[in-house]
Amino acid sequence: MKNWKMIFVVSLLVLSQILAACAPAATPTEAAPPEATQAPAEPTAVPTATTPPEPVDIVLWAQATVTEAGAPPEDWIAYQIIHDELNINLTYVIVPTGADGEAKINAVAAANDLPDLFQMVSANNDNRGALLRLVDLGLMAPVEDLMPLMPERTKLHYNDPLAIDLVSFYDHQYGLPEPPPIPKREGLVIRKDWLDKLGLSVPTTPEELFTVAQAFTTQDPDGNGKNDTYGYGGFLNGQGLGTRFDFIMGAYGVPGVWNFSGKGDFGLNVRNPQYKDALTYFKSLVDAKVIDPDWPTLTRDDFRARWKQGSFGIMWEDFAALTNKSNYEPFDTNFPDAEWIPVASPKGPNGDAYYGVYTGRGQIFGVSQKAVDEGKGEAIASLLEWMATDGYYLLGFGEEGKNFIIDANGNISTEGLDPVEAYTAPERQPFTQMRNQLVFYNSEQEIVARYPEYKTINGRTMQPMSFLGFFQEQAWVDGRGIQVILPPANAADFDRFYTEGLIQFVLGQKELTDETWAEYLAGLDSLGAAEYEAAAKQALTDAGLLK
Amino acid sequence: MLHSKTRDAMMFQIGLAIFLTIILLIILIPFWRVIVTAFIPLDIYTREGVPFFLSPTQWTFEAFRQLLGHSMFPRAIWNSVVITLLGTAISLFLTVPLAYGLSTRNLPGRKLIMTLILFTYLFSPGLIPVYLLITGMKLTNNYLAIILPPAVSVYNTLVMMSFFEGLPEELKDAARIDGANELQVLWHIILPLSKPILLTIGLFYAVFFWNEFFTPLLYLNDNNLMPLPVLLRNILISASFNEYVEYNAFSSASIESLKAAGVLITMIPMLLIYPWIQRYFTKGTLVGGVKE
Repeated sequence: MKNWKMIFVVSLLVLSQILAACAPAATPTEAAPPEATQAPAEPTAVPTATTPPEPVDIVLWAQATVTEAGAPPEDWIAYQIIHDELNINLTYVIVPTGADGEAKINAVAAANDLPDLFQMVSANNDNRGALLRLVDLGLMAPVEDLMPLMPERTKLHYNDPLAIDLVSFYDHQYGLPEPPPIPKREGLVIRKDWLDKLGLSVPTTPEELFTVAQAFTTQDPDGNGKNDTYGYGGFLNGQGLGTRFDFIMGAYGVPGVWNFSGKGDFGLNVRNPQYKDALTYFKSLVDAKVIDPDWPTLTRDDFRARWKQGSFGIMWEDFAALTNKSNYEPFDTNFPDAEWIPVASPKGPNGDAYYGVYTGRGQIFGVSQKAVDEGKGEAIASLLEWMATDGYYLLGFGEEGKNFIIDANGNISTEGLDPVEAYTAPERQPFTQMRNQLVFYNSEQEIVARYPEYKTINGRTMQPMSFLGFFQEQAWVDGRGIQVILPPANAADFDRFYTEGLIQFVLGQKELTDETWAEYLAGLDSLGAAEYEAAAKQALTDAGLLK
Repeated sequence: MLHSKTRDAMMFQIGLAIFLTIILLIILIPFWRVIVTAFIPLDIYTREGVPFFLSPTQWTFEAFRQLLGHSMFPRAIWNSVVITLLGTAISLFLTVPLAYGLSTRNLPGRKLIMTLILFTYLFSPGLIPVYLLITGMKLTNNYLAIILPPAVSVYNTLVMMSFFEGLPEELKDAARIDGANELQVLWHIILPLSKPILLTIGLFYAVFFWNEFFTPLLYLNDNNLMPLPVLLRNILISASFNEYVEYNAFSSASIESLKAAGVLITMIPMLLIYPWIQRYFTKGTLVGGVKE
């Protein structure tokens, strides 16, 4: 008896030691992939064997459309249909977003345990870079041979040659580039009710914009007797001054970080003398206190709370964040007589009026080499083709007649359906989790269904699509090439210097003169700006994206 | 002279009181703001932001309803409770004998074992080796993937070991003389005297497992196994990306309210446990245990 107890205690001790050794760090950091091979593995041809008699097990990892809703239940009808029609046992796993998702993918990659079909996840939105890293590790399969096996999907989803180029490395296509979310979806809007009250017109130049913003700030446009409004509201997002102020830089011909206008002119936009003029104008808005002064520290959520509180009358906003019923309703409740209207970009002194930069980043899916080696290539292609054909409505909207109907105009509708069963109901969200990642391709029917018209409190018809249409018609710089530009080794230092310098000029923390501007540019050069530009130019030239 | 000393002491006390009051306010004001934010109605939030005071008639439980009323909430909280209870139990079960063994000064190889343990404290194996271990043990989609890797904390083991070392050796000797083996000494003598450290370390483990967030994301692919922190995060992500969610389904409370309510919900169980355990932190347990 005594011996048994001693053995038990010793066993516990040994087990404790082993487990203690296994304890991970409290806060896991980004997983380092294993030692990279010098070159990607020679691709294995996709087998073109006939359908195997046994069902093929396919594991799909993709992000959720509605993260809180979770994955579909095990008895989801789609699983059964996929099994019956395609002879596939599908396992669908929702992969986390951002750094968590990237760490998860890195971990399974290190264990050579990548799922068969999966979505690239990147903490810094560099999905192409994430794919390239896995390609370099020899873990990804080329997918050219799969394309002919899914003709309809290729036509609807993979029809952009540039997108295909961006996921092709070492003479092979390794990624399946899904169409980007609705492109050019943000734009400049103004409070029409404020303009009308003050007898002002829609601004068409930076000077007019200044005048209107000043009037919105000082002339009590909401008529509440308080000095509580600003002309413009925005916040920082992205490099430099971010995309929310790109239309200002666009009026001077320098929106975004890079000048994509041609091979001869390519480089950082700050090299362009117009950039300093744009900053001077921006600074005049800040100095006149016609911009909500919290813009350097405001978060996106705070920004959105403020326009709903009627804090400012001009802003740059996503069309859906502004006009979707769920987003517009709080504002409508506070200000039922208010009205936002879209505005074209102000035309600058040289006639430039760029709205912003269109980067066209979409989701990228990939097929693991392991899956192809196991003979799953053909089944994966048939699954993707089914998602774009017979399975399209089921995965995007649910079962016809139960979760949606197609009305006489050919539009998706929920009219006459049990509200709980309607595809728009919260209860139905788990069943359409793949829609934004693998199913939707921005067809007109889709977009009309996703952003329907509705009546505001005072009976005005709100048309989200009219805002989107207006924004998309504006002049955008084609910046899709930004996806091939790799960040420099000292990206954190470079970005900090670049962004903080611009903010300091605009806020007046640093005087904006020819000398200080030259010093700023010299500072960028000391951080390797010229080399960064040369590398970016080479990458764009190699990719055929710089004419 | 005496009068001056008394006055100095009083001034010191007043200064101390003011200082502590400031510290208290620094802690309480943000906490109060979290509470107000959690209970603020959407219309007031969108109209005025977060006021410092909110009339009791205006308070709303909408954010809590949205979080607690989520269809997956019961499942998520059950998962968290299971992970916390099972994890704490397994951790204590493993930590106690390890700490006790190491507290025995004549344990053969004690120095070597201590060195090995400290090595794991100083040098973490990293994510990939642990992942390979877990997948090699076929523990993905299993609570044990969350519980086993951090089951023995070196820090907690050393704290417990120090406590055991502080117990009078005479008690153990007396038990051994009475014929008890080491397991009986541990079970009948040491553990009854160690309630404070067991509860303290148990609380440390419980808080750790209750808040565990990343490892479930990494090792659990089944949505039905996800614990509460993961669900709360997913709800917040959905809320903050609602311009991409086209449907009018997720906006009855502001994102800030949801965040604040999430903070309060996850805090409450631990807030309830702390006062109950606090008395064990200070209570002496050895009084009368040894007669000189």
